[in-house]
Amino acid sequence: MKSLILKDFYNISHNAKSMFLILLVFAVAFLPTSGVQGYIFTCAILCSMMIVTTFSFDEHSNWPLYAMVMPVSKKDIVAGKYFVLFAFSLIGIIFGLVVGTAGNVIAESFSRPPEEIASISPLLSALLALSFSTVFGSISIPLAIRFGTEKGRILVLASFLIPAGICYAAYRLLTALGINITEDFITALLYASPIPALLWNYIMYKLSCALFLKKEL
Amino acid sequence: MTDAILQIDHLSKQYPGFRLDDVSFSIPKGSIMGLIGENGAGKSTTIKAILDLIKKDGGHVSFWGQELSSSKQIKEDIGVVFDGINFYETLTPAKIGKISESAYMQWNKKSYQDFLNRFQLPANKEIKSFSKGMKTKLCIAAALSHSPKLLILDEATSGLDPVMRDDILDVFLEFVQDESHSILMSSHISTDLEKVADYITFIHQGKVLFCKSKDELKYRYGIIRCKTELFHTIDQSEILACRKDDYQWNVLVADKEYAKRKYRTAVVDDATIDDILLLYVKGDYKA
Repeated sequence: MKSLILKDFYNISHNAKSMFLILLVFAVAFLPTSGVQGYIFTCAILCSMMIVTTFSFDEHSNWPLYAMVMPVSKKDIVAGKYFVLFAFSLIGIIFGLVVGTAGNVIAESFSRPPEEIASISPLLSALLALSFSTVFGSISIPLAIRFGTEKGRILVLASFLIPAGICYAAYRLLTALGINITEDFITALLYASPIPALLWNYIMYKLSCALFLKKEL
Repeated sequence: MTDAILQIDHLSKQYPGFRLDDVSFSIPKGSIMGLIGENGAGKSTTIKAILDLIKKDGGHVSFWGQELSSSKQIKEDIGVVFDGINFYETLTPAKIGKISESAYMQWNKKSYQDFLNRFQLPANKEIKSFSKGMKTKLCIAAALSHSPKLLILDEATSGLDPVMRDDILDVFLEFVQDESHSILMSSHISTDLEKVADYITFIHQGKVLFCKSKDELKYRYGIIRCKTELFHTIDQSEILACRKDDYQWNVLVADKEYAKRKYRTAVVDDATIDDILLLYVKGDYKA
């Protein structure tokens, strides 16, 4: 699996410079209004979306055909993609945390983000960004496997709508059950977010494996 | 054939409008098997089915007596080159080496470097600037550097100039100097197969028409060139395939010496693989 991960990193390294440049531009645009917390989210989501780009490179070079003659299984290929997604999200978060914290010092001198955003600690924000970005990215993997990256890119919107829909449904369910949603309750939910994110990623991994196993190369 | 490295029995695969039908052949140790047929005959489908890249509808494939899925070690022992490179264009040979090194336990760094030097491939140049021939050589270098025992080549030499093809064919001949090595080589360039193959499997419309030693085809097969009157006297059981040109009939027979003796007034020529392929594809033949 190491070879598959290495291949994705080598492929994406070509785009890394432009991605980091975009993130720096976003730092100027978002730090004054969204703070370091919002910026970490932006970086994590944008970096996690690069997973679709890796599929695009693979399709362009007909890589899966070659990968399958190497001593790796289809499950290894899917697992490699999930590992790369996690790594991309983590890189985005670290970049966001470092650049955001440094940039925030400058940004704070002329603008401050709203109090409700500023009250969230950057580390909690990083944890949440990791959960959300991997959840969003994890949906794009089975979509790219099933539909290819051309159609998959359009369907990536679903990567955002599906979790948003599930969260809204959960909110409505809790309200219907008469559970009072307090600030403490939301904070607890946010801290617990990696657990459903892990579960969600596992389900998406299994789905991706099932789709890829059926796929003929 | 005994001591088969690769054994294919009754392989079949159905697609809309195409069927790979009951394909069987085997590759003995130390030999090169040429898989020949017109475009769309089923050569690539056969190779994909052999490598488990597509699901077989029926049949059985074994490498050294084992199924491909039974062990990762089998894949270590198989080098594959497809038509075209399967690495993204911004990669360099050096990076491809590192990727392959991580994939194969048997990866030989020195051997890879030697191949890069021999093929004059710059290690740190992006492959998008490589010619088709350089890309093919890179794929061959990668395929040979994990010490495979079986090399599977799917149209690997197509689109290359004759000089480049000759260089590459020499590498294949060197590879089979080790008698535990074999090559399965699909191509529609019959001259390549005539140069290196020991056996020829001819696929036409998804079916194997024959699997014979190249020498048998080269030294025993012949083409009777004759007028219609003589054509009608030829024993039908002797005709493998035939085709009428503007002025004469071309009749493929399995024993040219016998035909020369029997049909003394006819011209009996040697049959090249191209001639055989053309007569089967464009003429009438007995299945």
